[in-house]
Amino acid sequence: MDIIESRTWIEWVITIAKFAFCFVPVLYILLLIPMERRGAGFMQDRQGPNRSYIKIPFFGKIRLLGYVQNMCDGTKLFFKEMFAPAGVNKVLYYVAPAIPFAIVFLSPCVIPWFGPMVFEWGGQVVRIPGSIVDSEVGVLLLFGLSSLSAYGAVLAGWASKSKYSFLGALRTSSMTISYEVCLGLSMMGMLLLAGSFNLTDIVNWQEHHVWGIVAQPVAFFCFLIACIAETGRAPFDVAEGEPELVAGYHTEYGAMQFGLFYMGEYSHICINSFLVATLFLGGYSVPFVTTETMQAHMGGSLAILCGVLAFFALAFLHLIYRYSRKLKATNLTNRFEILREYSLYKIVAWLAVVVLIAGGVCAWLYYDPSKFVVNGFAVGSFATAVGTALIHLLVLVAKSVFFCWVWIWVRWTLPRFRYDHVMHLGWKIILNIALINLVVTAVIAKLVGGN
Amino acid sequence: MRVIKQKPMNWVERLYVFEAIRGLWTTLKHAARGLFRYETLPTISYPEGQPEIRNTYRAKHRLMLRPDGTPRCVACGMCAAACPAHCIFIEATASDDPRIEKKVKRFDIDHLTCVFCGLCAEACPVDALRMDTKVISFEHRTRDEFVAHLEDLTAWDPKDYPEDEQSQVAPGGTKNAEARKVWGMEVK
Repeated sequence: MDIIESRTWIEWVITIAKFAFCFVPVLYILLLIPMERRGAGFMQDRQGPNRSYIKIPFFGKIRLLGYVQNMCDGTKLFFKEMFAPAGVNKVLYYVAPAIPFAIVFLSPCVIPWFGPMVFEWGGQVVRIPGSIVDSEVGVLLLFGLSSLSAYGAVLAGWASKSKYSFLGALRTSSMTISYEVCLGLSMMGMLLLAGSFNLTDIVNWQEHHVWGIVAQPVAFFCFLIACIAETGRAPFDVAEGEPELVAGYHTEYGAMQFGLFYMGEYSHICINSFLVATLFLGGYSVPFVTTETMQAHMGGSLAILCGVLAFFALAFLHLIYRYSRKLKATNLTNRFEILREYSLYKIVAWLAVVVLIAGGVCAWLYYDPSKFVVNGFAVGSFATAVGTALIHLLVLVAKSVFFCWVWIWVRWTLPRFRYDHVMHLGWKIILNIALINLVVTAVIAKLVGGN
Repeated sequence: MRVIKQKPMNWVERLYVFEAIRGLWTTLKHAARGLFRYETLPTISYPEGQPEIRNTYRAKHRLMLRPDGTPRCVACGMCAAACPAHCIFIEATASDDPRIEKKVKRFDIDHLTCVFCGLCAEACPVDALRMDTKVISFEHRTRDEFVAHLEDLTAWDPKDYPEDEQSQVAPGGTKNAEARKVWGMEVK
């Protein structure tokens, strides 16, 4: 009881509500799969998957720009029969796919989603950290958790009694472990500068000095490569190289078991992109604007946020209108169906533009924290804190989406490395660069007189 | 024997990083094209959009017609002889026209066996068989329906071949009336 009463109820509500962020990597799968499939299509001058549709009353066949097909594929995977080949270790075979996916819910616990919320509540100053677990070991906890996902691969490879799976599992585990080393070492320079393992402190340092990518460009590069390798994506996907091993450690899996591996991989990408954004791209901090400035001009900041979102909605509208014009000129037999479908998107986007601009103007003109009183209880500073958190969260999401795109972009550009080349790159090149970078950073930091 | 000597990579290329960045730039351009210039993509969403087919494309066959509407085929069997897949079956009968010896009674092309080599059209001495219909999709429910008979092969519209004079001679074409005068005979 003492523990509960030691904090105000609003603090408890927010602390518990923050656990919803555990689901962010899973939500990112919904974004990453269409981005990957259509992005791959565009890079190869294809159209990408766009055939499935939902029929709704007035607007006809709605394809949601190809999104429906991903939903159909997911549904198919979900309802397929799960089966195990003869001779497998049944328990491990069924447990293995769940491991990488379960870890996904734990990993995001130390990522700061927004700056610490500081506000007055009933004459008492409340401070709520932006991460689910505000731990001093911070990033180490994240590394520890995310490297656990190698167990999924190892167990899957071992349990499925197949040579291909086994070799794939061996490769995955060795690669994950060796790139963990590079990952940790390349990040050390950043930790040295910030003087803390806590990710909130690292972001705070970047906010008040410079972004990690400017302070530690070499480390950023090494870290990005090691991150891509650790997720086991192309060009480092030697573990599931089709020419040698049929599909790596998940050769023997089908249906949703395969789907879990797939989702685990995508969530891993999401977490790693959040990590890169947090460590080297200033995390939740808005470029060129400190949190204090933003809080002092909360109305204007919200107005700018609305303006940016409205700009994106208008850009989307421009694309839709432009393509509608081109589509009318073609002789596709279903062009009027598609135009009908686009009218729905136009309506939604125009509504979004109107709402966003109206909201922005209202925020600009009428936002005044001192007026925010509920039942004679001043909540102005709380409103400011929530607004700050919202902006921080969206900025972080924007940065991480960019890095998710980098993952996809690299995958569809570079050819797969040979296995020994991967090991060579990891142990003999990136590790050395990271070490030299660490030493140089340490010397300079000492000379300049940092902490 | 021609030996192609590959240029050795210079040190910038061997660093891989810069070449990788060049590759990334290329794919980025392609991705941007898909996103912002979707209609310029070379692929066609097929059943709704049809590919453009040239006149010389070897598609489904057709039999050319005389001005009076009879098939131009003289049932010589050259096409059946030239066919490497043995998919043409011809039966001849006596012609009503004293100027012509034989006319075709049965002319079947099995499109399941046909390899669309175009040798039949080349072998035809009277230019009766052509493959310029631009019909490229064959969808039927039974195997028998894939066999095109004389009625299918002669059932084409001169309006679909506006630039071809030979096709305009057939009934319904723009040059049918004058060609009929030259031909000078009615079918009995």
